[in-house]
Amino acid sequence: MTSSFLDATGLGLGARRRSIGIYLATALIAGALIALQITVMRIFSVGSWAHFGSLVISLAMLGFGLVSAVMCIADGWFKTHWRLMSSLSLFLFGPLTVACNLLVQQFPFNAIFLISDPVQKWRLALNMALYLVPFLSGALFLGVVFQQAQTIFNRVYFADLVGSGIGGLMLLASMYVLAPQDLMVMPLVMWLAGALFWFDALGARRHMLGMVVLIGASLAAHLVLPQLFPIAKIAISDYKGVSYARKFPDSQRVLMHQSPFGLLEVYSSSYLHFAPGLSDNAGFNLPKMPENAYLGLYQDSEGPGGIIRQLPADETAYYQYLPMVYPYLLKPKADAFVVQFGGGLSTALALASGSQTVTVAEGDRGVLDVFRNNKILRDFTGDILNRPNVKVIDYDGRLYLAGVRNRFDVVDLSLADSAGLSSPGGFAIVEKFAYTREAMGHYMRALKPDGLLSVTIWNKEEPPKSVLKLYATMVAAAHEVSGPDIARHFFVVSSYLSTTTVLYKRDGFSNEETALLRKHNGLLSFDEIYSPGFEYNDPDQAKLLEDYRNQIFGSGAPAPDGLDGSSEPAPDVAIDTGLPSTRLARLAWQAHVKGTWPAIARDYVFDTRLLTNAHPYFAAYIKTADLTNVLDRIEILQDEWGYLLIWVTLGFACIAAFSLVLLPVVFGWRTIFVRYPGKMQTVVYFACLGLGYIMVEVSLIAHFVMALGSATISASVLITGMLLFSGIGSLVSERILPQARRLMPVLFVALAAILIAYATGLDWVLNAIGSQDYATRLLCCFALILPPAFLMGFPMPVAMTSLGQLGKEQMFIWAWGINGCFSVIGAALVPVISTSFGLDSVLTVSGLAYLLAGVTFFAVLRPVLTAKPHQA
Amino acid sequence: MNRRHFLHMSSGLVTAALTGTILPDTAQAAVSTPWTPQMKPPMGNGEEFIQWAQKNRGESAEYLRKRWERYQAVVSNKDVLDERNKTAFLMAPREHFVLPRNLPRAYEHAFLDIGYGVTISGPHIVSRMTTSIDVQPGDKILEIGTGSGYQSAYLSYLTDQVFTIEIIQPLAERTRGIYDQLIGEGYSEFKAIQSRHADGYYGWEEAGPFDKIIVTCGIDHIPPPLLKQLKVGGIMVIPVGPPGAQRVLKVVKEEGSDGVVRATRSDIYGGRIVPFVPFTKLEGGTIKGTHNQ
Repeated sequence: MTSSFLDATGLGLGARRRSIGIYLATALIAGALIALQITVMRIFSVGSWAHFGSLVISLAMLGFGLVSAVMCIADGWFKTHWRLMSSLSLFLFGPLTVACNLLVQQFPFNAIFLISDPVQKWRLALNMALYLVPFLSGALFLGVVFQQAQTIFNRVYFADLVGSGIGGLMLLASMYVLAPQDLMVMPLVMWLAGALFWFDALGARRHMLGMVVLIGASLAAHLVLPQLFPIAKIAISDYKGVSYARKFPDSQRVLMHQSPFGLLEVYSSSYLHFAPGLSDNAGFNLPKMPENAYLGLYQDSEGPGGIIRQLPADETAYYQYLPMVYPYLLKPKADAFVVQFGGGLSTALALASGSQTVTVAEGDRGVLDVFRNNKILRDFTGDILNRPNVKVIDYDGRLYLAGVRNRFDVVDLSLADSAGLSSPGGFAIVEKFAYTREAMGHYMRALKPDGLLSVTIWNKEEPPKSVLKLYATMVAAAHEVSGPDIARHFFVVSSYLSTTTVLYKRDGFSNEETALLRKHNGLLSFDEIYSPGFEYNDPDQAKLLEDYRNQIFGSGAPAPDGLDGSSEPAPDVAIDTGLPSTRLARLAWQAHVKGTWPAIARDYVFDTRLLTNAHPYFAAYIKTADLTNVLDRIEILQDEWGYLLIWVTLGFACIAAFSLVLLPVVFGWRTIFVRYPGKMQTVVYFACLGLGYIMVEVSLIAHFVMALGSATISASVLITGMLLFSGIGSLVSERILPQARRLMPVLFVALAAILIAYATGLDWVLNAIGSQDYATRLLCCFALILPPAFLMGFPMPVAMTSLGQLGKEQMFIWAWGINGCFSVIGAALVPVISTSFGLDSVLTVSGLAYLLAGVTFFAVLRPVLTAKPHQA
Repeated sequence: MNRRHFLHMSSGLVTAALTGTILPDTAQAAVSTPWTPQMKPPMGNGEEFIQWAQKNRGESAEYLRKRWERYQAVVSNKDVLDERNKTAFLMAPREHFVLPRNLPRAYEHAFLDIGYGVTISGPHIVSRMTTSIDVQPGDKILEIGTGSGYQSAYLSYLTDQVFTIEIIQPLAERTRGIYDQLIGEGYSEFKAIQSRHADGYYGWEEAGPFDKIIVTCGIDHIPPPLLKQLKVGGIMVIPVGPPGAQRVLKVVKEEGSDGVVRATRSDIYGGRIVPFVPFTKLEGGTIKGTHNQ
């Protein structure tokens, strides 16, 4: 006969060695699951599209929900067969993980054909279904442990949280030595360790041997099978940048560098050509075009970014035809600051333009490492980062300028994060803190009194979107720095479907300076959008705005004016009078200067609100009111797929989560749960916890990028800090169990107050922290995480342990599932709320969720009814 | 799917599996009437067109029907404007340039995968780009990015001098193979297409200068060598943006009154705002406005 779990494991009897083994097993298995999540996310990032990797978190949580629903319905069976189920789940994880991953890689999908090719949808579904399988195995193990340890839930929950935090950290550390395709090794090893502790605690020595053999075989299959057969460990999409580079006949990989910052590869090939924003006139006027001037830089297979070689003197005229050259026309001997190094083009241009000093920032340590230390790159770039007049800042330029007292003649932000901005197919919903109103304010204040800020971004959208956001953002920052009259502070040019450059001069442009810039602009044949004294009136403003709206939401049938019945294409009547996008840009600047932009923005087809630290997105252009109108035209809004996907994800998350929550309701609302009073409030309680926790975690990751500069570091700090401190909270919660009725409401109010305070003041604090040295920033970030995370560790174990102690057994395991399901919804809600209402709002909503949890908490403590069901 | 279609697809897939290439096998009997610029397919009635093309070109009624339906859509959207471009659309057998697995969707508006990370553009954008450069008989045209081969095939019905460059060698070889196979079957018009594998950035200097250039691959700037190989007064078009929502950049090389040569950028329709087009809906071969109506 099967012994009871607590007896068998020693958890109930206090057999210390065995109980420690169980806690370690729980921690390691939880750690392995987190490590697997991050591994799969990395595989998606490198192989196809990172956004689908984020769905993996939802998959894992859904796995918990599905398992909990089944366990809730078959509670008794699982209790009896806990040994079998735990062993089965442990044995299956390794083979399932390896098999599913290899299978997924044989059936990759192409994101760009998701709408047009029905096969791709099935492939995506297959990918997701296969990756769900190993998480089911992990969820089954944790479910069994939680179910069995109901009365001491807070302790195993502590192990679960701390193990998850440390597991994530270990996976990130392993990224220094393991390539993305082999990261799978880490969760397998952690899983093996966890399983060995488990079987040791149960005294099942033969199972330990079996486990070693199974994981060993799984590892061997992962490492050897792809070499024996022509199958890929990561199927890199043909549509990823690096796939093209690899097809060039003379392409050579110059270097590969892996770290938690990503997989960095550099290729050389005579087929690689870059010249972002190069004037068309360069081809006619340059005596010599530099040949083989670039190497291709690829990050997580995306790119290329151009790494420019050191040009000899007879080739540097080339720089004169790039849009980044404008500020140096007025400041030939500048103290220049380059906000983001990237591939080094802006830095090389600043040096070639005669700058006395160039201070260059780069937050990606991997990039700095290879440029400083790789001999091939050092030779190619003329050792650009080690030159005596070049100073390197190894974190975000935005943060450096926010805190430094130095002042610069030129601050340059040119095509930073260019992969995201240049490629509308990048689809990214990514926080772009370098482009926010606050960041622009830092750049402007870091200028000498006659200094220049130069910002260049891609202008490849029609109807225009990003550029209008940039204009609005820079104008708002200028108002804060220079006051209400900004008419003389800007000079703006653009090239149709290429780039736009905005120059801001702190003390305003003189007439001579304006004339000089105009003259050079004539050489480049770029469109002048705004300059001091530039007047523009568009009599057809209303029609222009209406036409843009019709372009997206009109019937699509009407022919362009003048084309009906014509036997030949219409002549180019509008070239000299301005293209619509040029007219709109000119209109926008006139309106910005005169303060009439809001009225025009209201009538424009897309949302062009400025970027702020709370709303740092070059995305989410579709106005919320238009969301339902785009459903039949998704194909023409591919650059918004990332945004639309977050709504779709939310929809699926809600359907999946509610289905799983409803499953036990359908099967047991009037039978299993009939003796549990306050069951609806209990459901709401755990739903609020699920929503609140994940929303705080995900939104803080985005917030902390402001201070830490890197999404990877921010995620590491948050995952580790949140889980560790919550784990401690969970452990400490045992002490307040007897006074839970009195103390928990206070805790909920305190927690909500902290979160709402963070919503209003965290950005200010993070900005202040951002200019400190990195160790101090890390410490401060952990200190900021501590108060909410510690308190957030209490509600779940207090309620779960109470359910266990009250004998609400089915409710116990179901509550765990509800928590998981609403975590999925919460994770999907974060981008929806933050793009619609701002990042700050997410914390406020989380605070309110915890307040609601506080209100419903007392239902959890209501004892099980002993009366007959019909009398309840 | 009817039996013949199934057999065509199957044989294409088997061929691909055996030879490592993906040559769609959709041709029927050899073309009975060779192409001449004077050839005019019926444009007023779908059944007449299908019968005419079956008789003169030996093509499949199934694909001819789909071609006719798409033809109505591109005409409705003003993607083709004159008789010559309309003829080119009706003559160009798009089904020979898609992968076997995409044959049923050869005439859908969408772009399709052709392997190597490359797509065949949708029929609307191909028509619109070709119309916009106003190809005249005898014009020397350079295409950068051969890809599937459909664009150059389309051009071969408008001029007898088409030069096309593909950067991906196996794709260049595969497409050349398709042209040669089709020429062997009687599509003599494709003899006008000269193709080669090279880096299109540098153009085709020995064949230039060109009257028109069509670039069908993405780049962050217009290659200066191409601008040099474009005749003064010549037109270059380049699609910008994601497939399905591309704007087509038109560059005209002009000599000003001051004698200075400049490149002027505009949209293919001179900068007017043109509604996007992928929503033309076909129901039973009839245009039903747009999907959003």
